[in-house]
Amino acid sequence: MENRENRLIAGKGQFADDLALPGMLHLVFVGSPHAHARILNVDTRAALAVPGVVRIITGDDVKRHTQPLPVQANFKRPDWTWRLAKVYAMPADKVRWFGEPVAAVVAEDETAARRAADKVVVDYEPLPAVVDAREALKPGAPKLYDDWEDNKQVHLKFDFGDPAAAFAAADRVIKVRHSEGRVTGLPIEPRGCLAAWDAKREQLELWGSFQTPYLARHNLAAALGLPEVRVKVNAVDIGGAFGLKIHVWKENVVALAAMLTGRPVKWFEPLRDFIVTGPHQRDVFWEGEVAVKNDGTLLGLRATVIHDLGVESTNKGIAALSIFPASSSPPNMYHWQGMHIEGIGAVTNKSFYCAYRGYGKDKGLKFIESVINRIARALNLTPEEIRFKNFIQPDEFPFHQINNYIMDSGDYPATLNKALKMADVKYWRAQQKEGRNNGSYIGVGIVTTIEPAGVAVPNCQMGGLTQARVQMTPDGTLTVDSDRTEIGQGSEISHTSIVCDILGCRPENVYVRPVTSEWIGQGPLSSRGAVWPASAVAKAAKELRRKIERLAAHFFKTSPEDVEIEAGVICVRSDSEKKMDFREFADKAFFFPGPRGLPPEVLLAHDHLLDVTATWYSPNTPEGGSSYTTFCSSADVAVVQVDPETGVTGILKYVHVHDAGKVISHKVIDGQIHGGIVQGIGEALTEKLSYGTDGRLLNTSAAEYLMPTAVEAPDIEIAHLETYSPFSETGSKGMGEAPIIGSKAVVLTAVEDALAPFGIEVDDAPATPERVLQWINARQAEKK
Amino acid sequence: MKVAIHLTVNHKEYHLTIDAQATLLEVLRRELSLQSVHRSCEEGECGACTVLLNGEPVNSCLVLAAGADGAEVLTAEGLVRDGRRHPLMDAFVDLHGMQCGYCTPGMLMSAYALIEKTAGQPLNDDQIRKGIEGNLCRCTGYVNIVKAVQAGKAAREAGNWW
Repeated sequence: MENRENRLIAGKGQFADDLALPGMLHLVFVGSPHAHARILNVDTRAALAVPGVVRIITGDDVKRHTQPLPVQANFKRPDWTWRLAKVYAMPADKVRWFGEPVAAVVAEDETAARRAADKVVVDYEPLPAVVDAREALKPGAPKLYDDWEDNKQVHLKFDFGDPAAAFAAADRVIKVRHSEGRVTGLPIEPRGCLAAWDAKREQLELWGSFQTPYLARHNLAAALGLPEVRVKVNAVDIGGAFGLKIHVWKENVVALAAMLTGRPVKWFEPLRDFIVTGPHQRDVFWEGEVAVKNDGTLLGLRATVIHDLGVESTNKGIAALSIFPASSSPPNMYHWQGMHIEGIGAVTNKSFYCAYRGYGKDKGLKFIESVINRIARALNLTPEEIRFKNFIQPDEFPFHQINNYIMDSGDYPATLNKALKMADVKYWRAQQKEGRNNGSYIGVGIVTTIEPAGVAVPNCQMGGLTQARVQMTPDGTLTVDSDRTEIGQGSEISHTSIVCDILGCRPENVYVRPVTSEWIGQGPLSSRGAVWPASAVAKAAKELRRKIERLAAHFFKTSPEDVEIEAGVICVRSDSEKKMDFREFADKAFFFPGPRGLPPEVLLAHDHLLDVTATWYSPNTPEGGSSYTTFCSSADVAVVQVDPETGVTGILKYVHVHDAGKVISHKVIDGQIHGGIVQGIGEALTEKLSYGTDGRLLNTSAAEYLMPTAVEAPDIEIAHLETYSPFSETGSKGMGEAPIIGSKAVVLTAVEDALAPFGIEVDDAPATPERVLQWINARQAEKK
Repeated sequence: MKVAIHLTVNHKEYHLTIDAQATLLEVLRRELSLQSVHRSCEEGECGACTVLLNGEPVNSCLVLAAGADGAEVLTAEGLVRDGRRHPLMDAFVDLHGMQCGYCTPGMLMSAYALIEKTAGQPLNDDQIRKGIEGNLCRCTGYVNIVKAVQAGKAAREAGNWW
C-alpha cells in the first residue's frame, strides 16, 4: 500500500489547488487599499458585466446571511482587560487594515474572476490609521472599535512566586528592553479550499488546507448559522501550516458563495494575499528590570510586554490568548524567586495576529535568554556559567515552576555541556579574540530553552480535546484516525510507528487516514501531536491488542498470554506451528466463522469488534493548573561573523542539542529541528513586515519578504538526549517549536557578541544589514 | 485571443489551443492535469512551479505558454518511468528531504537539472545550495535536501538514473 511520502514524491499530492467538482466556480477577493476607512459604497456593475462572472458577494451580503464570527477565547477576570469585538467574515461598514477583503467575485473561471475583481469600485472615506502599538495605546489615538474605550484589547497581570522579596534581595537591578519585528510564517502553500452545498440534504462540505478540521467545523457552522451536523470539513494534503492555518475566516465567504450560488466554489489565494491578509506574529515590545545577585544568581523580573495584535484577535484567530503564554514563559528553565509580568495587547490597523510556531511562549523565552546573556556580560560571567548556576537540576523533577508549569523531566546541564563540546566554543572564542585584531568580528551565541507543549486551558477552544480510533478491516489492515492533521510534520509516520510498535506489525499493515471534522480534537498545534493525539492512538492500539490476543487465544485454543505478534503475524509462543497473518485473523473474526464462532463470554461482553476509539488527558494539567503537559529542552550554540562595513551576518557554525523525551522517529524530529532553526534564522536576520505610516504594507510579496534560501541556511549539527516524560503515554514530548525559539535568540545574541567591541545592544529583530549599520553608526555618533 | 501551440511534455506530444495570455503553469495544470506543478507566489520568487524547459529550469508562472511553442517540457510526473519512481525521488524520501511536499516537485526539477549539468564533475554542498537557491522551502531548512541531491548525484554516477 502506497504511503503518503511515496505518493507525494511522485507528484500525486492532492492540495487545495488540485481540487475540482463539476460545475465548480472560482472565487477571488477584493482587498482594501486603505488601512482604515469607512466603506461608503461597493459598486459591482462593471465587474458583473465581465463574461463568466456569476455573483459578487459584499459585506452587506455577509451581514445579511451570516452571524458574527464566534469568539474563540474569553478570559474574564476582574483585574484583567479582555475585550471582544463583533466582527463578520467581511465588513459592511469599515475596513481596518490594508488588504482587508471587502468583496468576493465568483466566476466560471479564475481569470474572469481576477479581471472582474479589478473592476469592483469601492468608495471609501479614509480615516486616520494607527500603526504602532504604543501609539495606539495613547489617549486620542484613532480607535478601531467604536464600542471600546480605547485600543487595548487585552491586559493580563501575573504575579509568580514573590517578586517583592526577589527585588529586596537584589545586589543589582538591571533595566532591560527587547523587541521583535512583525513576521509571517509563510508556508509555501497559501490558503485555499473548495466548498460544496448539497441543497437537497442542506449539507455543507469543505475540503482544503485546514489544520484543525474539528475546530474549523465548529467556527464555520456558528458563523454560517448551520447546525454542526450539517457541516463537514476535510483536510487534504497541506503544504505547510505552522499554526497559520488553524483559524477559519475567509472560508466562511467561500462557503456562503457555495450556498448562494448552489454550485461548488473554489478559492486558492496567491502567496501575496497570505502575506497581506494572513496571520502575522511576533511584534512585541518588552520593558522591565531584572534583580540579580553579584554572583550571577537570578532573583526576579518585573516586566511589561506590549503585543501589536493588528485587528482584534479573539474572533478571526486565537492570538489574544497567546499573550497568556508570552507573559508566563520568562522563568524558562531556571530557579527564580519571583516575577511580576504584565501582558498587553493593543489593536492597530494591521492584519490580524494568530498562531505561528512558538505562538506566545516563544516571546518570553527569547526575551529572558537575551536578558540573561546581557546580565552575564554585566557580571563578567560567560553565558554558560550563569546558566549552570541557575538551572533546575535533574533531581528536581517534576519541578513546580513559579509560573505553575509542572515541568516533567530534563537534564539541562548535560544538554548544555554537550552543545558546548560539539561547538568547540573554546576554539571559536580564540578565533574571536584573534579576529578582533584583524578587523574581523566573530560572535559566539549560547541559548538554552524549554518548549512547553500540549496546551490545555479553560474558557477557550484549547481545553484539551483529542480523539483516536484504531480499527482492523476485514482484510487485515489497521486504519488509524485522530485529530492530528498531517501538515508535513510527520504525524502519519509517527502514528504508523506507534501502532507498529504496540501491535507488532509492519508499516505496510497500517493506513493512517486523512483527518476530517469527524474526529474530536484541537489538532496539531502547541506541539501537542506527539503528546495528546499520539497518546490517544497508543491507548487505542493497546486496547485493540488486548482484543486481538483474546480472540486469537480462542482461535488457537490457548491463553491470551501465550499469544505473540511479530511483523504482522499472530503466533503462539508455546507452539511455533500455530500462526496466522492479520488478513487470515480478520477474516476469521468477521466472517468465517465470524462472531458466531466466538465464545459466549466474548460476545456477551460486547467485546468482539476489532475497533477501539479512545481519548486521553494529561495527568498533570488538572492537578497543578499547568497549561502544558511536556517540556522539551534544547541548547543552541551559533557562531557568526558580522561585517561592520556592510552589516551582513554570516553563520559559521550551528549546533543544536535537543531533548524531546522518547524519540519515535529520528528523521521526523531532525526534520522539524532543521526547519524550525532556519525559520528562526530568517526571523533573526531578514524577515520583517513593514507598514508605512499610512498603514500600507510595504513588503507584500516573496520578493520583499525575505525568507532564507538554501544559500542563507547553514549546515546544522544535531545531537539528542532522551529524558522520558512521565506524563505522556509513550514517554515522548511534544516538539517542533524549541528550534524556532532558540535559533532566533541565539543568532541575535551571537550578533551582539560579535559587535561587543562597538558596545551595541541587539534589542530588536531582524538584525538586517541596514539595522546593524544603524546600530554601529548610532554608537559611533554617541561617542563623538 | 486563442493560439495553437505544439508542446512535448514528459515525452508526449500535445497540440493545444490556448489563451494567448496563459502561462505555462496554467496550461500544464489545467489543460494537461499535471498537478505536480504547484502554484504559490505566481511571480517567479518561490520556485514552486519550476519545470524544465528544453532542459533548463524555469519558473513556469513567468513563461507564456505561447512563447514555449515547440519546446520540450519535463515535470516531476515525467521522472516516473513505467510506474517506477526516479532514483532522485527515492533519495528525497529516504533522506527525508520532503516534509509537506509543496516545494518538492519544483525542487526535484532544479536538482535534476543541476545533476545533469554537472555530470562527470564534482558537486559540493555549496554548489548544490546555489543551484537550488531559487526554490524556497519552509519545512526542511534545506539540510536533508542537500543530502538528497548528493545521493542523487551518486546514483547518477553509479548508472542508476534516467
